Amino acid sequence: MKRLAMFVAVGLLALSALASAQTLVYGESGLPVTLDLPQDGNSLTVLYQVAQPLVGFKPGSSELMPLLATSWEANADATQWTFHLREGVSFTDGTPFNAEAVKFNFDRWNNRDNPYAFASQKDMAAWTYIFGAFHGEDGYLLEKVDVLDANTVRFDLTSPVGFFPALVASSYFGIHSPTAIKAAGVDYGTPGVGAVGTGPFKFQEWVEGDHVTLVRNDNYWGDKAKVERIVFRGIESPATRLAELEAGTLDIAVNLSPDDLKAVEGNADLKRATASANLSIGYVGFHQANKPFDDVRVRQAVALAIDQKTIVDSFWSGLGQPAAEFIPPGLIGRAGYEPYAYDPAKAKELLKEAGYPNGFKTEFWYMPVSRPYFPSPKDIAEAVTGYLAQVGIQAELRTEDWGIYLKDYDEGKFPMYMLGWSADYADPNNFIFTFFSPTEIKNGFGWTGSNADEVVKLLGDARQASSETERVTYYHQADKLIYDNVPAMPMVYPTTLNATRANIDGFLPNPLGTTSVQLNEVTKN
Amino acid sequence: MFSYFIRRLLGLLPVLFGVSLLVFTIPRVIGSDPARIMLGERASPESYQRLRLELGLDVPYFLNFKEARTNGVAGLFDAQYPNFLRHALQGDLGKSIFSRIPVVTSLTHFFPATFELTMVAMFIAVVLGVPLGILAALNRGTVIDTTLMFVALAGVSFPVFWLGIIMIYVFAVGLGWLPPSGRLSPTLIFHGTTGFYVLDAILQGRWDVLWNAIRHLILPGIALGTIPLAIIVRMTRSSMLEVLGQDYIRTARAKGVEARSVINKHALRNALLPVVTVIGLSFGQLLSGAILTETVFAWPGIGRFVYDAISARDYPIIQGGVLFVATMFVIVNMVVDLSYAVIDPRIQYT
Repeated sequence: MKRLAMFVAVGLLALSALASAQTLVYGESGLPVTLDLPQDGNSLTVLYQVAQPLVGFKPGSSELMPLLATSWEANADATQWTFHLREGVSFTDGTPFNAEAVKFNFDRWNNRDNPYAFASQKDMAAWTYIFGAFHGEDGYLLEKVDVLDANTVRFDLTSPVGFFPALVASSYFGIHSPTAIKAAGVDYGTPGVGAVGTGPFKFQEWVEGDHVTLVRNDNYWGDKAKVERIVFRGIESPATRLAELEAGTLDIAVNLSPDDLKAVEGNADLKRATASANLSIGYVGFHQANKPFDDVRVRQAVALAIDQKTIVDSFWSGLGQPAAEFIPPGLIGRAGYEPYAYDPAKAKELLKEAGYPNGFKTEFWYMPVSRPYFPSPKDIAEAVTGYLAQVGIQAELRTEDWGIYLKDYDEGKFPMYMLGWSADYADPNNFIFTFFSPTEIKNGFGWTGSNADEVVKLLGDARQASSETERVTYYHQADKLIYDNVPAMPMVYPTTLNATRANIDGFLPNPLGTTSVQLNEVTKN
Repeated sequence: MFSYFIRRLLGLLPVLFGVSLLVFTIPRVIGSDPARIMLGERASPESYQRLRLELGLDVPYFLNFKEARTNGVAGLFDAQYPNFLRHALQGDLGKSIFSRIPVVTSLTHFFPATFELTMVAMFIAVVLGVPLGILAALNRGTVIDTTLMFVALAGVSFPVFWLGIIMIYVFAVGLGWLPPSGRLSPTLIFHGTTGFYVLDAILQGRWDVLWNAIRHLILPGIALGTIPLAIIVRMTRSSMLEVLGQDYIRTARAKGVEARSVINKHALRNALLPVVTVIGLSFGQLLSGAILTETVFAWPGIGRFVYDAISARDYPIIQGGVLFVATMFVIVNMVVDLSYAVIDPRIQYT
């Protein structure tokens, strides 16, 4: 009897060890905000495991691959895109995944008056970033979605877009179960309801402020998840995330501070998990409505006065590279420029030519929040003003609440400022057009005149180009104008530091970060 | 006593009304709003205006004259503040703009976490603080006193995030004795009913959960307890010193009352009044959440919840959260006032 009890006890111990080995604990900077049309990385990472988009990414890369759509093709001028859907797939609530479901989701996002477009999503910024505007509004892209048959949908666009599948692949656009959305109404995506999709994991529970648990979807159409459960924890402080990883209470920790690279690499229990490159950029912008930044020589002088390489090396600890153009590495269309070389003497000369032999006074606005493209904005801003002082430019450091900062930025109140961008989809259009669209070129930089008009025209032509070669030619021409006119000084292409315990395999962040990485291939040994 | 209690309770109403007015007004007058933050780094002026409309941010703050013309008095009060007040009186604090979670639901998640942590921190602060303060007073001017006062000074001066991270590295990463952060191990499957994990664990007889929850409380409890601990030590010391110099203590000693009895019965009881005030104030402060401690230890408390809402301009959370915290603070102060009568019979409330 005693022996039996011992046997049972040992068995139970082994079982509990097994159970915990199958739970993956994932540390992010916060828990999701919502699982219905979120706009932040923490929510998107969780949602990507549950609701999959039509198009995905090859592991560790930004190259597209079939996910819920098995193939796609465009008509001759790329205004109609037809997607063939994976057959025999069901949402985890049993609802069949088909063309109707795809149409339901896109209609709900594209049409502000759709009954299932809930208040805060009616102006979903991500939709306008990616699809221009909502249906019927100025600059909208998606005309309609048609169900051709049970497993075929067609997207009709208002203008040709050769890279449309990249838009659809964005992690925002996971397909949800229409039944679940209709049943939950405005509560869909909140902790009590969660989300229902076709992904390798399904929603189990969300304890507000504490954790979100997903469990393996045993009916998943693809490679079933190797771990049984994932628990997502929101740990705001990057130092605590690293400590948790070191203590072994987290298996994966994302968005660590670049300063911690040494700590990660020097620890045999940990593994660095960074992407080959991240599609992200941090820059110093000038608004030309503020004198003397209307003078191109002054803008060039600023770019020459700042030792960009030293700043990038010191604040990104080897996890960033100095930037020269607005299309980050890893995308097509880059012209291959070098950053303006550090040359204070030449900067002074240009200032003298522009009529400022003794420099001038201005304001330099830095962000009150930290982003991967500027992990410690204030320290970086101080370094920048230090360099500027050496050529006589007295830049007063200013900041304000983030919401007000964004609003003042919109209104062109900052002579000189810091801002950045991380990709929504893997295409140069998401960068260069984001900064130099007709509205942004005015709002962000106050850049007008023939050069600015030319850039806008070239980028418009690029969007409609019939071939990639043609598109790249337009980008190169636009890039030259931007490089010479310095409407802003690109500062850095950062790489985000993520790490796992040494026993974790198969966690491969891609250039879009960790928000569009499926965790079904991750193993815990 | 009872009528005093009722009067104090009624006195709460104007205070809370004032708080509600402030907490409604301040976030709105300092500029920016949730609509702009929701739209992120790039936004067109049109979508900004439209989202404001969608979120009801264009409705007048206090009085809606436009509506009054068509709907009379009811229309006049169809404005943001009167609506907030009306719903709040019915126990509805609205929903978060970003997550659509009802504020009351969130408060029932975050408040128990803060309350548990506060209890532990205050327990540490009082159990250690009062005896150490007495010890310092009795050994005034000696090495013991100087050392204690120095440590107390250090306690108030150490930044919590620094102390917290050091403790995490020593006790969690280095020695592995305690978990680094959070309220429960994420691999533990447990569903509480009250949100107070210690209580829930006892109610359900889940001793593994109880042990786990207590282990998670220790480091943040110490980190959070250091400041009140330091204040209590100093307050007890100075208050004791003052009392020990009184005539009646000399008399008691002269009568030959045993030293221990002089200290415990004659001195301490009289010295406690200011200490209780300090304890009450600290308790109230900790209950309103400790943003730094909660951030370092990833503690899902009310401080960070409200702080995050302030950054995001999530008006319903700011309003509901601050109103709730203010209520707690006022109640704790009231309890402190009432306890005076228990400690010092000379104080009578009528």
